[in-house]
Amino acid sequence: MIEVTHLVKKYGKHIAVNDISFSVKEGEILGFLGPNGAGKSTTMNMMTGYLSSTSGSIKINGIDILENPIEAKKNIGYLPEIPPLYMDMTIEDYLIFVAKLKKVKKTELKVHIEEILKRAEIEHVRNRLIKNLSKGYKQRVGLACALIGNPKLLILDEPTVGLDPKQIIEMRALIKELSKKHTIILSSHILPEISAICDKIMIINKGNMVALDSPENLQHLFTQNVRTVLRLRSIDEAFTTALSQIEGVVQVKVLETVEENTTELAVDANQGMDVREAIFKLCSETNHPLLMMQSETISLEDIFLKATMSMENTATLENTPETTTSLDSLTAEKQNSKEGVKDEEYTI
Amino acid sequence: MKSILSREFKAYFTSPIGYVFLTFYLFIFGFYFAGINLSQQLGDYSIIFSYLVNLLLFTIPLVTMRLLSEERKNKTDQLLLTSPVSVWGIILGKYLAAVLLLVLTLGLTLIQPLILEVLGDVPWPAVISTYIGYFLLGATLISISLFISAHTENQIIAAIGSIGIFLFLLLVDAIATLIPAQRLSSFIFILVIIAIVTLYIYLSIKDIYISLIVGFICAIITTLMYKFNGTLFDGLCTKILQWFSLFSRYNNFSSGLLDIGSIVYYLSFIFVFLFLTNQTIEKRRWS
Repeated sequence: MIEVTHLVKKYGKHIAVNDISFSVKEGEILGFLGPNGAGKSTTMNMMTGYLSSTSGSIKINGIDILENPIEAKKNIGYLPEIPPLYMDMTIEDYLIFVAKLKKVKKTELKVHIEEILKRAEIEHVRNRLIKNLSKGYKQRVGLACALIGNPKLLILDEPTVGLDPKQIIEMRALIKELSKKHTIILSSHILPEISAICDKIMIINKGNMVALDSPENLQHLFTQNVRTVLRLRSIDEAFTTALSQIEGVVQVKVLETVEENTTELAVDANQGMDVREAIFKLCSETNHPLLMMQSETISLEDIFLKATMSMENTATLENTPETTTSLDSLTAEKQNSKEGVKDEEYTI
Repeated sequence: MKSILSREFKAYFTSPIGYVFLTFYLFIFGFYFAGINLSQQLGDYSIIFSYLVNLLLFTIPLVTMRLLSEERKNKTDQLLLTSPVSVWGIILGKYLAAVLLLVLTLGLTLIQPLILEVLGDVPWPAVISTYIGYFLLGATLISISLFISAHTENQIIAAIGSIGIFLFLLLVDAIATLIPAQRLSSFIFILVIIAIVTLYIYLSIKDIYISLIVGFICAIITTLMYKFNGTLFDGLCTKILQWFSLFSRYNNFSSGLLDIGSIVYYLSFIFVFLFLTNQTIEKRRWS
């Protein structure tokens, strides 16, 4: 559906986007994740033909956006960070204008607008002036504008920014619904949002692509150890030694007490080893009542922080190609920085 | 293009600008019509246009200041530039919307010569050629003003910039007579222009070597020409400045002459400025 190869954007000497490559298949949802100013919007602006790229190519449905912009743009619906709305028009007039701009056939225009109004749930405000709408409705009109002409590819730049929690949930549901008919690329700096909606995540930092994978794989990639948290009434030396001797256990650590008169233990085991049964047996044999046992998975927040942090650690190497794009190098980097982050406590 | 044209034209009448423009024009035209044609019982409607040329100076920026600067400020240019339309289509649509407003206004004033026709004789050839000249002058000023509007996000700056340039164009004949006509001063004048162009090239491409090389080559060519073909430089500044004298060209029309040269002059002026506007927008995308 969309194929981006070695995309670079320079503003003078400043490199906004540095050698990004990815492709999205039909029906997928790809999420761009990155701190503010990472180059998400710039990348999207290039994909939609608003900005040109310094080098690299973008193909939409096989059509190059710079070689044949008009044909390529017919396949794209774009919701920029700030919805491009004409404040002095009513919603209906505005959508008709956009439909004409996108060359929707005159005979289909009326029906199409009705359908869009219904899908974006703005039928009841259709005759209101856009300047009088709330932020949430403006965002929906922006989305409706992107939907006009039934483009195969939807590019949504921070679609939930500035909305209240209820509107965020509605917007997410709407995007999920849209993904049945469209290929979607969206950006966000909010992690739960991305993991809730997307099939694939691309982490960008300072214009570089740090990781590109499914949320689950990213979690696997960044966790070597599976952590199990135990809460026990009391412990002794012999018990912790016995715990650390269970097959697969790497280390046992005492954590901060959460509940009074109890002890919190963290047991790190190798990936793929399920130590929970062995722990249970040990507890019952040594008569240590088990109050709580919980498996902990590393959250996307941690992945994100690790990914962007390891970038900064290797910032001096930024311009060498090996450090930037491929996942293999990322693993290597992560191992380098493993020592630094090993002792951090992960919370969900 | 058609959709942009119709949106822009409607936008004039969803905001007060269109009404203010129309009302103002009709009032001023009506005022002179009553004061000159009716009270002095003159049938020649084209006379009053000579009082009204300067009106364009202050009213054209009013209708064009918004066109491109507001798009950038509200980020609606993202919609236009990511839609399947060419940049030329966008610019032409906007340009023609402003021109259409001018046509509508001038069209409404046609009632006045028609009234005169009922009351007496109207020299129609002179009136029609004056209308054409006035329209062409207005359309040219719109293209310049549109170009200015592409450079800023601020409407007020766009308007003031346009008025400033229009004033220069109005005074260009007076300036031309003040400039000495000797060869040397023309030569220096050309060198100054080359320096400005070099600076502009540098600001556009940010490459000091290429811009300096271009500047030097032009300066050398000019110097050689000055050495070997000095007569070329006699009164050159005046000639160059007179190329820009949009307002004096208009006088041909008001005397009842439908001068093809002047029509082509205005049309090429319009084309050049629309082209420059196109370049300005494209450049921003590519920088």
